Amino acid sequence: MLLGLSGLHREGEVTLDAVNGSTGGDGGVMHGRLLVRLVEAMWEGDPGLLTAVCDDLLAAAGADVLVDAVAVSANFHMMTRVADGTGTPLDPGTDEASEGFRHQIGVNDLVSRRHVPSGGRE
Amino acid sequence: MGSGWRFAHSESAHSATAALGWKNQGMSAYATELPIRKELDAAHAAAMAEWSAPGTWWTGAQRLAIVDEVRRARDAEPLAPWQVPSSVERVVSDESELPSPVVEVVWRLTNHPGTLTADWYASILARGVDALAYVEVVSIVAQVNCVDRFADALGLERMAVPEAQDGEPSGEVPADAEVRLHWVPTRDIGGPNVWLALSGVPDELAARSRLSATQYVDGAAVFTDVVSDRFSLQRVQMELVAARTSKLNECFY
Repeated sequence: MLLGLSGLHREGEVTLDAVNGSTGGDGGVMHGRLLVRLVEAMWEGDPGLLTAVCDDLLAAAGADVLVDAVAVSANFHMMTRVADGTGTPLDPGTDEASEGFRHQIGVNDLVSRRHVPSGGRE
Repeated sequence: MGSGWRFAHSESAHSATAALGWKNQGMSAYATELPIRKELDAAHAAAMAEWSAPGTWWTGAQRLAIVDEVRRARDAEPLAPWQVPSSVERVVSDESELPSPVVEVVWRLTNHPGTLTADWYASILARGVDALAYVEVVSIVAQVNCVDRFADALGLERMAVPEAQDGEPSGEVPADAEVRLHWVPTRDIGGPNVWLALSGVPDELAARSRLSATQYVDGAAVFTDVVSDRFSLQRVQMELVAARTSKLNECFY
């Protein structure tokens, strides 16, 4: 959801296509495809893939962007484990606001899907 | 993901950046010419120091054993989510400081976080793990995954594990900690659900927040300021990286 909100404030259309993978283009985000390739290489842990995409991102965007993008992805390897390790349900406000695009990014069938029930406790 | 590839990747990253002439100054968690911000470097060094100290529920030695176990889980040949690591020969050390269900939590949360269910959590508690002690394990596992994945991606040596600090866990239970919307007990302190997740162990909530502040966005600004760029990245770039990482981890939240 924050991708959509932050994208509203930039010139050009930001789409959710790149969330589904680097074959989805750059999603209207500067260096978007390279950033997604970096995230995917971190996930795969393939040394050749990592070296290649790090070199490509260094050449295209510089070392600061490489380091900061790796830091953001690493942060979300942490946050996803906090959320899923503790059974964190989606916030009610986010729940309603994200309804329209959850199907688009293919997350509705995830095992980790949890909502706050209307009565309060899950 | 073994140490061999990391070394090879490290050499490549170093050669690429050395040619561009970057240098870090002063004491560092990482020896590198990459332009790692000082506060980020310091936050990682501080995290390792905190892991070595007694926590709320676990001793310094036990907390460092969790760090070691995360590394073992990440570097091992992948196990299926339903495989219990202690059932696989030579995967888990016979001399582990950790109870068997905690080792299982470390492996499952490290390698298959998107597969966890309320029933699985209940089964861990049924084997004698206290709910708030479990929260501290989740926090350390999550932080180590953050710090080590940062190092691995940039071809840096992971920080060395120090000696454990002496002392006993505080055992402090916040008066208002109870099960509300999460599986685990949380405090009634307001904020998005993911911020509340570790609130039953306040020191862990603080530790997690310090890492996020140096690697993403600080506190309330996550939601109140979705416009401002941060570090070298546009906010929209950060959110794309965040969203793709979350999707790969199969995290609905």
